[in-house]
Amino acid sequence: MSAGITTVIVSKGLDALLGVCLTHLRVALEALDADGPGSPDPPTPHAIVVVDNASPIPYDLSRFPFSGIELLRFDVDQSFGRACNAGFAAHPNDRVLLLNNDVLLSPDALRGMLRLLESRPDVGLCGSRLVFPDGRIQHCGVVFGAGKIGPYHVDRGRRSDRVPRGPRELQAVTGACLLVRRSVWDALGGLDESYPFGLEDIDLCLRARQRGWRVLCDNDSESLHFESMTPGRVELDVGSRRLFMQRWSRRYTLDG
Amino acid sequence: MIRYFLPSAGIYGGVKVGYQLAEMLRELGRRVVVASPDGEAAQWIRCAVPVVDRDEALSGLGPSDVAIFSLPHDYTPLAGTGAQLVFHCQGTDPRIDPILRDPEVTILTGWAQATEYVREGFGREPIEIGISISDVFYGGGIVSKEDRVGYMPRRGRSLARRCERRSRRLEFVPIEGRTEGEVADALARASFFLATAEGEWFGLPALEAMAAGCVVVSAPVLGGLEYLRSGENSVVAPSEALPDVLAELARPGARDERDRLRRGALATAGRYRRTCQRERLRRVLPTIPELIA
Repeated sequence: MSAGITTVIVSKGLDALLGVCLTHLRVALEALDADGPGSPDPPTPHAIVVVDNASPIPYDLSRFPFSGIELLRFDVDQSFGRACNAGFAAHPNDRVLLLNNDVLLSPDALRGMLRLLESRPDVGLCGSRLVFPDGRIQHCGVVFGAGKIGPYHVDRGRRSDRVPRGPRELQAVTGACLLVRRSVWDALGGLDESYPFGLEDIDLCLRARQRGWRVLCDNDSESLHFESMTPGRVELDVGSRRLFMQRWSRRYTLDG
Repeated sequence: MIRYFLPSAGIYGGVKVGYQLAEMLRELGRRVVVASPDGEAAQWIRCAVPVVDRDEALSGLGPSDVAIFSLPHDYTPLAGTGAQLVFHCQGTDPRIDPILRDPEVTILTGWAQATEYVREGFGREPIEIGISISDVFYGGGIVSKEDRVGYMPRRGRSLARRCERRSRRLEFVPIEGRTEGEVADALARASFFLATAEGEWFGLPALEAMAAGCVVVSAPVLGGLEYLRSGENSVVAPSEALPDVLAELARPGARDERDRLRRGALATAGRYRRTCQRERLRRVLPTIPELIA
């Protein structure tokens, strides 16, 4: 049986999209524990926590596509970091998977990420290749440019079939689909809650690397990411970026 | 974890060589960070090494940690931490002698002259890990200007001026305060590189210029004589003779000689590729207990 994963999905509204996201997640989780025919059926070590981040109409557990999902509700909008931290605290586990509600996992995405995470003890975080609906790269790692450029998604917008496969070590990966060892999460205190919405994932990766952990991205699967579907998400990015640059400008090396 | 202590993030060869070693060790599976004042990362080279605050790193060091350093003034504060020390010898200034006398400090050297200094002066056998040039210098595709001379004015500006007065037909381009990529571009656009820093420990810029296809005209150096073979891949001459040497080499009739030196230079630079040093490092790492993963 694989290590237990608690998936935390912070979501606001977009009920139908969340439902499809959960369905894809379940398939990817089941693929992790598929030990072949005849194997006993142990209790799943995994958990799914949906954090309802002040949806106008609160989520209803009975309307989710399957049972066993834990629901945490905030009546007032929380930062993404706070919401994620609360979600994992509700069900701590060996690993935490941060997943956006607009990511539809491919069936083998988690298997690839988990394999990389467990390939070496110093791999602390693992991201995954994400593509837009038209097959162009949304994410296959984050690199850093000079000055105001800062962090950006490498190869974003390129056709996925033109970007090399295989694991890649990076300074950071997106938190839209991010698997983290619990020891790393605990040592860093989870995500920094002072970022309004965005770049707390990059902050987490940089802090992890400062402590000697490696950050990898699995490129062998590709999941779908619609990106920034939540209303108001882009505006919050501005404040996050300002804070990020205050803290990190000239404190990361340049690989972009 | 291994921490490489550096004095600044500024544009200095020693800083670059430190980052290079840190990055290679990471690629070879070691957990390495650079410890730099205020946690400032070098913004003029391309790499992906994590950087931490130097003071915090120093205060957190203990006997189970490994600290690499390359400047003599870091020796005393680091020795007081009880950490396992590795000295990355990047020069042979006598101020490093107390470090070389300390049997508790592991010594890494980058080139033969430094190795000999340690061996002959202190009866110790250092571990020579080599030195390398960033891939960005092995360019190609950029057309150089036949009459352009690149030089780095930080050391030897007056010598460059004397050369300029002697060869007014040539265009002298100072290369200073630029990122590594910009330096590579400037070198690729030049036909000559004038190495004016007499007594340089190694002289990485001249080797980088060779990789970029320049004809190197150099003042005498120390460690750099490992790769500067006068008459084969460069011309090394006393400083006072450099203006005439450059003028002679830049004559239109000396094209064949320039081409010959350039071919020799490219062959030499090929032996200092990053992949070569990494392979060398991979081979010697098992002999360095402090750096075993």
